[in-house]
Amino acid sequence: MMITNKFNFMKTLYLLFSILGMMGVVKADETKAREVLVALISSSSKSEEARYVEDLTELGDPIIANVVASWRVGEISYSKSQDKVYIVSGFETYEDLLTGAVISPAGDRAIDRPSRKLRKKLSRIVDFLDLKSPDLEKRMAASRKFGSSQKPEFIEVLREFEAKQDDPEVAAAFRESIAMSLLENGTRDERIQSVKLLGDTYVFAARDNIAKILKDASSGETVDEELVSSCKSALISIDGRQDLLDIVGTLFRGLSTGSVLLLVSYGLAITFGQMGVINMAHGEFIALGGYSVYLVQNYVLKHFGESSVMYEWYFVIALPIAFGVTALAGCLLEKGLIQFLYKRPLESLLATWAVSMIMQQALRLYFGAANVSVSSPEWLSGSYDFGGVMMSYNRIALIVFAIFVVIVTSLLLSKTNWGLHVRATMQNRQMASSLGVPSSRVNMLTFAFGSGLAGLAGAFIAQIGNVGPSMGQTYIVDSFMVVVVGGVGNLMGTAISSLGIGLVDQGLQPLLGPVMGKISVLFGIILFLQFRPGGIFPARSRSLDD
Amino acid sequence: MNRNSLFDSKAELGLVWSLLAFVLVLPILNMVAPEGSFLHVSSFQLSVWGKYLCYAVLAVSLNFLWGYTGLLCLGQCLFFALGGYAFGMYLMLMIGDLGGYKSSLPDFMIFLGYSELPMYWKPFYSPYFALFAAMWVPGLVAFLFGLLAFRSRIKGVYFSILTQALTYAAALLFFRNDFTFGGNNGFTDFKFIFGQEFYDPSVARGLFWGSGALLLGVYVLLAWLLKSKFGLVQRAIRDSENRVRFSGYSTTHYKVFIFVLSAMIAGLAGALYVPQAGIINPSEMWPTKGLDIVVWVAVGGRGSKFGPIIGAILINLLKSYTTREYPESWLLILGFVFLFVVLFMPNGVVGLWDQLKERFSKKRSASDPGDEILKSN
Amino acid sequence: MKKRSSILRYTLAVGVGAVLASQSLQAKESVKVGVLHSLSGTMAISETSLRDVLLFTFDEINANGGVLGKKIEPIVVDGASDWPLFAEKAEQLLVKDNVSVTFGCWTSVSRKSVLPVYEKHNSLLFYPVQYEGEEMSPNIFYTAEAVNQQAIPAVDFLLEEGYKKFYLIGTDYVYPQTTNLVLFEYLKSKGIPVQNIGGGLRKDSKGAVISAGNYTPFGHSDFQQIISEISKFAASGDACVINTINGDSNVPFFKEFAASGLKSEDCPVVSFSISEDEFRSLPSKDLVGHLGCWTYFMSIDSPTNKKFKADFQTWLTKTNVPGIVKEGRVTCSPMVLSYNGVYLWKAAVEKAGTFDPVKVMEALKSGVSFDGPGGTVTSQKNHHLTKTVYIGETLENGQFEVVETLKDVVGEPFLKGTFK
Repeated sequence: MMITNKFNFMKTLYLLFSILGMMGVVKADETKAREVLVALISSSSKSEEARYVEDLTELGDPIIANVVASWRVGEISYSKSQDKVYIVSGFETYEDLLTGAVISPAGDRAIDRPSRKLRKKLSRIVDFLDLKSPDLEKRMAASRKFGSSQKPEFIEVLREFEAKQDDPEVAAAFRESIAMSLLENGTRDERIQSVKLLGDTYVFAARDNIAKILKDASSGETVDEELVSSCKSALISIDGRQDLLDIVGTLFRGLSTGSVLLLVSYGLAITFGQMGVINMAHGEFIALGGYSVYLVQNYVLKHFGESSVMYEWYFVIALPIAFGVTALAGCLLEKGLIQFLYKRPLESLLATWAVSMIMQQALRLYFGAANVSVSSPEWLSGSYDFGGVMMSYNRIALIVFAIFVVIVTSLLLSKTNWGLHVRATMQNRQMASSLGVPSSRVNMLTFAFGSGLAGLAGAFIAQIGNVGPSMGQTYIVDSFMVVVVGGVGNLMGTAISSLGIGLVDQGLQPLLGPVMGKISVLFGIILFLQFRPGGIFPARSRSLDD
Repeated sequence: MNRNSLFDSKAELGLVWSLLAFVLVLPILNMVAPEGSFLHVSSFQLSVWGKYLCYAVLAVSLNFLWGYTGLLCLGQCLFFALGGYAFGMYLMLMIGDLGGYKSSLPDFMIFLGYSELPMYWKPFYSPYFALFAAMWVPGLVAFLFGLLAFRSRIKGVYFSILTQALTYAAALLFFRNDFTFGGNNGFTDFKFIFGQEFYDPSVARGLFWGSGALLLGVYVLLAWLLKSKFGLVQRAIRDSENRVRFSGYSTTHYKVFIFVLSAMIAGLAGALYVPQAGIINPSEMWPTKGLDIVVWVAVGGRGSKFGPIIGAILINLLKSYTTREYPESWLLILGFVFLFVVLFMPNGVVGLWDQLKERFSKKRSASDPGDEILKSN
Repeated sequence: MKKRSSILRYTLAVGVGAVLASQSLQAKESVKVGVLHSLSGTMAISETSLRDVLLFTFDEINANGGVLGKKIEPIVVDGASDWPLFAEKAEQLLVKDNVSVTFGCWTSVSRKSVLPVYEKHNSLLFYPVQYEGEEMSPNIFYTAEAVNQQAIPAVDFLLEEGYKKFYLIGTDYVYPQTTNLVLFEYLKSKGIPVQNIGGGLRKDSKGAVISAGNYTPFGHSDFQQIISEISKFAASGDACVINTINGDSNVPFFKEFAASGLKSEDCPVVSFSISEDEFRSLPSKDLVGHLGCWTYFMSIDSPTNKKFKADFQTWLTKTNVPGIVKEGRVTCSPMVLSYNGVYLWKAAVEKAGTFDPVKVMEALKSGVSFDGPGGTVTSQKNHHLTKTVYIGETLENGQFEVVETLKDVVGEPFLKGTFK
């Protein structure tokens, strides 16, 4: 029963739109739209609601889409006493929906939300509205939606709109959507045309449908040669493009996985490689970085609100804070513990493992055992469509940042006094110390720097993953492996090995699945170390016993 | 002590005798002392102590590898777990058709759609085969890995990280549900062992005696090995492998042998552990467990024979106590205890006596013990 | 020297035990109950809330006179997400502390590892977390949602809304696998053809299709491939997703889902392991309109629930148990089922007139009721509960709004093979 209602509703909608569309008389009347919306929101009877919804379908104003989006997420409230509908328009600012003017809301306002059924109907309306949205991306997305649904009633609508598109890219999208729908609903000739079009324009969404048509066409008693051959060539061209994009996608994902590995391992490479200290608490420094971002986010939210400019840029502020906090923690750890354990790698492993246990539990007791949520600011959310490959912005930022870290670190080490001291101390601690290098201060700064890098890694991981007391444990095993494969003591080796491992891991995933892929990477590392026991860049020394 | 005796000192001999007495007496008390009396030992306590004894064997095996040969294996938990799984397979098959689905196949296989037992499961109907596998499967893994690693002269921290990678990979593999080893749930809910009902008190006693016998047997075996020329070469490898090699010994062969032997011992310990714990699942292979074993040996005193036993029992007693008394902060307590031991007791509990003697000796040298720690860079 | 060492060692061991034993002799006017949850390790994320609500419940009952005149003395132990440790702690609670009842466990592994212990000592465990069923131990009482009190009503709701295609996604372990086995049979019995069940089919050794679903490992975070499959599956507009992903992986799953542009109006997702507690770490603004099905929601508008929430918040501000987070707390179904469990136990004890676990279990089986924050719950002979099932949709603030209420749903653990 529900389905027939929906069907009738759809038919009405399509009818209205096609008629009005053909006449080109879809009114963009904002005032009227506002009136109807206010009436709809404040009405409480189902029949009234239905009537207002029908009214909305006649209006084509883009403001409907905005209001519906706000209504979904609780940004619309209604005051009975004033009989006014308010819409959120900024941090603690409200507009009167009817007039659009800023107003301070009445005390008795209550959040209003559409019911499930209403929400669905409105969603359909918005989909139709999106077809004429000034935002071209929305138009294309909407057309694809209607096309992929393969419902015959939308074909006419799509055709109408296709004819009126000025932008060639949008027009092409509409043609593809029509072709998608025709695969299911068209005549034989229309199907062949659609298959050709979709193949030539590499529409991946159509691949399975074309495969199905091919299967049906070649298994009947009479085989339609032309259809079969056009399907086959379309499949070849789509699959070829898909393979290419898969490679690009894998490269990107490999780069981003490698960048995560690089960020978490670089700090470890410095403390382990340069100083001979195995820091098992490295994972907890990552967690500290993540929690710092969380605290900064909360502070900004509380004092500046969610839609403020401060909130947009909280992440940029949080980065140096995360670095500072973990560097400080690193200083404390070094002065309090590590300085007694140089050149005793085993004791440093055990002692820092104890510190790791303590820090984890302390974080758990202070922040609670549950994960905390860190949300991405606007400019980091969403993704960039690189010809079909989705590259999310926060991963792009990660890759950029990893490159930045590598460059800055190498500059610091090669161009600054401190860097010179670090390299000297690493080569021969006693000699450097006798030449006047303040070794204890150099050690402390180096350890702090390595820990600070871990904090930065944690800050970025907070954007893409979870922040919890044991978030460091997920990365510690991998980061040790990266450092060891790269060659202990060699930062370039760490960078290369992290990128390499990231690429191999992502490359194997589509073939073997995520778990087997990871296992293969681990076995690969084990085998690699058989042939190059010192890692990619082994530490060269004259002594036999290192 | 007699030069040819296995034991280094009267103290050590004393410890071994008391261990023997403990192993013999406890189950007897379980049998004869009336319940509720001060001397009665419940079968729960027996199984807990039995588990501690298995942990002690595991620690001894790691110590043999680490304290005496200088190879820090962070993946010893893998061999322990493999042995546990081997015996666990036998126990799963012994459930028979008393499982949830009343079929002779283990429950998890029913979900996976198996209609009959995979071929490699079939021999595990025999407990002797299971024990045999508990020794030889870890042994084989250790052999393959050791051969590859030692032939390429991998040592030090590289070796440690590699062992960690090995156990991590194995854990991921065993977590897969379709790996036919129970996946995430592992093996549990055992019903019969050696023909007896699983929760019969005689089973707890038998397992305890078995664990004790294993511990004492392994101890004597390793003490004998250490006393022999083999032990001398072993310790020489720890102290300076290159010189040993230049002296004409094939250190690779020695290291592989030691690695395989310690893996087999760990596997047997695992096999006896699983019936006393009642469950085995892939988290026994997780790298953190490997680090736990290192903690036990370090706290007890690595490089000493009895040290790891003390360390394993002490830490696990502490954990058992604190997870009940201080459930919110037991990790803090354990962490601080461990930190203290690493910093101030480098020879562990066993070396404490000597350390204290040195500290309070009449012959006060110019330097303060605190400086010693700083100076030993 | 030899004899002294052995006596010394044994005395140490027994001494520890004696200390623990003596503690139990102290408060004769109290009854000991065990709290067996993970307060550290991976499961601490979920289980610490249960410990919190249990301590609150005990304080509430003690303030009102206790049970049979005795105060409840909780013995809290940390299972540390370590399953052999769970078994050991369970046995310790029973043998050393002689607890009359235990409230505990979350994962099925932990429950399975302690089950033999409770059966061996013939004691009583209350288990509060939605699970896959197919179990009924004589010594466990399941206040948890059985599959027919969560998964089946949710699927019914979606079928009524007109959805015809179902994509099954879950984590690779026993709960999703078993639930999907049952759901597969259920969907087929409702006439849904196999090609409309998405995620991949599982065949048995004879080639017959026995189940479906896409299973990812714990901690999996790359859902791009899966989301693009779901997009295609949902293009026809009448598909929905049945989500049994557990734990952290839900965050990247939903983030990816939102990023792909899919909305709940196009393809709703009903999740069985996401309650208000887990929702706090999800991007809730992008997840408006998805579904959850539990026997309690924090947003239920009843005087009992209002009082429960208010009292819990007050208790939180006053308690000084270390590690309890005081701000931003929510209440969710497993917490309320723990709460209900304690009160049901109290009612059964009062009915049986004794704390003896065997008699209390008999009283439970004969049927006792309690008016909890989620409605009245009644114990059944098959160790499960009759309770009210709520289907809720998610709001932008991480709360659920109830869209359907099913009263008096009888809990039935054994569902496999029962649908024709």
